[in-house]
Amino acid sequence: MVDSAKRDRDEVFLEYTKSICPVCKVVVDAQVNVRDDKVYLRKRCREHGTFEALVYGDARMYLDAMRFNKPGTIPLTFQTEVVDGCPSDCGLCPEHKQHACLGIIEVNTGCNLDCPICFADSGHQPDGYSITVEQCAKMLDVFVASEGEAEVVMFSGGEPTIHRDILAMIDLAQARPIKSVNLNTNGIRLASDRRFVAALGERDRLPGRSVNVYLQFDGFDERTHREIRGRDLREIKRRALDNCAEAGLTVTLVAAVERGLNDHELGAIIGFGLEHPAVRSVAFQPVTHSGRHVQFDPLTRLTNSDIVHGIVEQLPEWFRADDFFPVPCCFPTCRSITYLLSQGSPGTDDFAVVPIPRLLQVEDYLDYVSNRVVPDYSVREALEKLWSASAFMGTDTITEKLTAAAGALDCADACGVNLPEAVAELSERAFMIVIQDFQDPYTLNVKQLMKCCVEEITPDGRLIPFCAYNSVGYREQVREQMSGVAVADVVPNATPLQPVLSDSPYGSKVAGGHRPERAGIAPDRTNVGRSVR
Amino acid sequence: MTLADPTPADPTPEETKACCAAAYSSDVVAMLLGDSYHPGGLALTRHLADQLRLTPGARVLDVATGPGRSALMFAQEHDSNVCGVDLSPGNVASARAAAAAAGLEERVEFTVADAERLPYNAQSFDAVVCECALCTFPDKAAAAAELARVLRPGGRVAISDVTADPAGLPDELCSLAARVACVADARPLAGYARILVDAGLEVVLTERHDDAMSRMLEQIEARLNVARMIARPRAEEVGIDFDRVGPVLDAARAAVDRGVLGYGLVVAARPAGGARAGRIAGGRA
Repeated sequence: MVDSAKRDRDEVFLEYTKSICPVCKVVVDAQVNVRDDKVYLRKRCREHGTFEALVYGDARMYLDAMRFNKPGTIPLTFQTEVVDGCPSDCGLCPEHKQHACLGIIEVNTGCNLDCPICFADSGHQPDGYSITVEQCAKMLDVFVASEGEAEVVMFSGGEPTIHRDILAMIDLAQARPIKSVNLNTNGIRLASDRRFVAALGERDRLPGRSVNVYLQFDGFDERTHREIRGRDLREIKRRALDNCAEAGLTVTLVAAVERGLNDHELGAIIGFGLEHPAVRSVAFQPVTHSGRHVQFDPLTRLTNSDIVHGIVEQLPEWFRADDFFPVPCCFPTCRSITYLLSQGSPGTDDFAVVPIPRLLQVEDYLDYVSNRVVPDYSVREALEKLWSASAFMGTDTITEKLTAAAGALDCADACGVNLPEAVAELSERAFMIVIQDFQDPYTLNVKQLMKCCVEEITPDGRLIPFCAYNSVGYREQVREQMSGVAVADVVPNATPLQPVLSDSPYGSKVAGGHRPERAGIAPDRTNVGRSVR
Repeated sequence: MTLADPTPADPTPEETKACCAAAYSSDVVAMLLGDSYHPGGLALTRHLADQLRLTPGARVLDVATGPGRSALMFAQEHDSNVCGVDLSPGNVASARAAAAAAGLEERVEFTVADAERLPYNAQSFDAVVCECALCTFPDKAAAAAELARVLRPGGRVAISDVTADPAGLPDELCSLAARVACVADARPLAGYARILVDAGLEVVLTERHDDAMSRMLEQIEARLNVARMIARPRAEEVGIDFDRVGPVLDAARAAVDRGVLGYGLVVAARPAGGARAGRIAGGRA
């Protein structure tokens, strides 16, 4: 007997979008589906088949985040034109939905480490490139032309502290209308070169300017260090942090988090950060499966909601999942943030911690869908700056906006205990936790990319959304242009792709056997201009 | 919330009312809740407004308006003409300033007045709102009668309020200070519905929003923790007893979990035909 009953699909169809084939980087149609309360992105390449990846581990949280979506701000200039559509025209093209909250300048490809996990595919490599001071000046000018007054530029690499002109480059940034410089580093030089740390400290003290350290910091287990960084850096991190504290520098601990490796260390990293005098924030980034990384399963990769739930499980006395709010400047599922006020050291009697969202109704200000009017626009503006990709502790902007947000406590004149004033004082000791899941060639969703507000500034004067830069082929294109050495498109080291992978010279993976001539960045197969007959 | 207890144990109704108005604009409660705070925040106020069937230009009365945030929202989002009344001159002054800042003086006015003696003619409003306040009024029947009196036939009144089952409330939550903070004299949702029915209105909707109460308790706790962190001596001077805070909040949370403490919304209509006897027409309790 034939079973004639119709069956339901096992998933809810949520979005139709575009992505790329992770193997050949051609633009393909994609769909986002909810299955078993998780959100997946699926796509099919005519040549390489079907690919699926987990993009959010908590479907309700994903849907709820959509309200926290701010109208984008148009940058002063665009650097490219719309020709082939997103993500082939970066950037920024006039179709981009948001200005650059954060500009990144990679000053080199060389690094004093050869980490098994590195989205930039950097290391001790003879055929990379370093930018010159002149090129850096031009890149900063492009950023300023686009932003007017920019909040923050990040120097990255490679390892920016081994560039011999890094201080000169910081000086160039500080001489321009860029409020803050962030130095993204593994900390090796900070641990050993106290004169260098002191030089950063001097620059941090310039009026109206700040220099903050974005310190790679993945956890405390030796295994974490060996598997993510290739060597035990624990003592080096400790010395780097102590030197930063001595120089008065503000540090963000940045953890690359991989499932089953260091995802049990989230709570310990936060606790350590609250205790260390130099540390004012922690950033958790699920390992970006672009560039070089260990083999992973795209269907069980870590996402933002997994990090949120992990933090809550590990520190249930301090956090609930709804203490974290999506960031409205980018696409709200890309990044979540919370702020804490704390006192004392964890483990001591006088320790207390209060997540700031419990003091006020953040959604009354940052839910742009429900709120036609908000109670106080100056509070909304403050919260927008706090819940932003440009928010870094140690900057004047954040201190000022924490103080302004205290106005939402709405009892300034009435309070016997002036709570807003008290919170403003406490903002000196406020602590930020950021969770950011960068997209990779598996998870790339053009919808999110179009509103990306973290841009790579390239030597040829483009601003390329960070996840496009890492996933679509722009990183390889720029490295090839700058070094003069051919660079094949990097393919994720994903379990399902193992049969087609071979090694690149830098430790990442490329599609094995052949290397097709590059037909421009991400040629589009979704709209080939043909009618159906 | 027995956090401060500034008055004798057995106040007269007048004392209670004066105390309520004073407390809502005074240090401790303002610090705990914020002047304009009510459970559910803007989202619940919006939901409440959606039940009023407001048409542009409707005349809306906001009773116990505080610093007027909801009143301004009705004007901005529903193009209403709003009168807000509050017993506290300080609140009324703040509300007027907020209206001026929003450029809404033409459409929103604020007056110092008592809910039990509203300075308005009968049938002069299309809708009447009272958020998180009825529970603090000692003579709820008199206040409800006033809400009904100023409402036109066919118009709607919406109240949101703390709900409590008096028999189930623990002792910690029953003093005057708790009454001021909207607990001890709160009624079950059906009790509020009955008060409106007795005032001649027809109940069209009742809803529980107990999550809003949980959220408010969390907000109080967070604010108290901040006060303790940085200004403990000063906070104790104005009457906050940190040793009692924990048990009181725990008792309140347990009461929410047991369903004897919560928050609710009741919407009622004045019968178009001017019928005197109200009734409860089905709701979602």
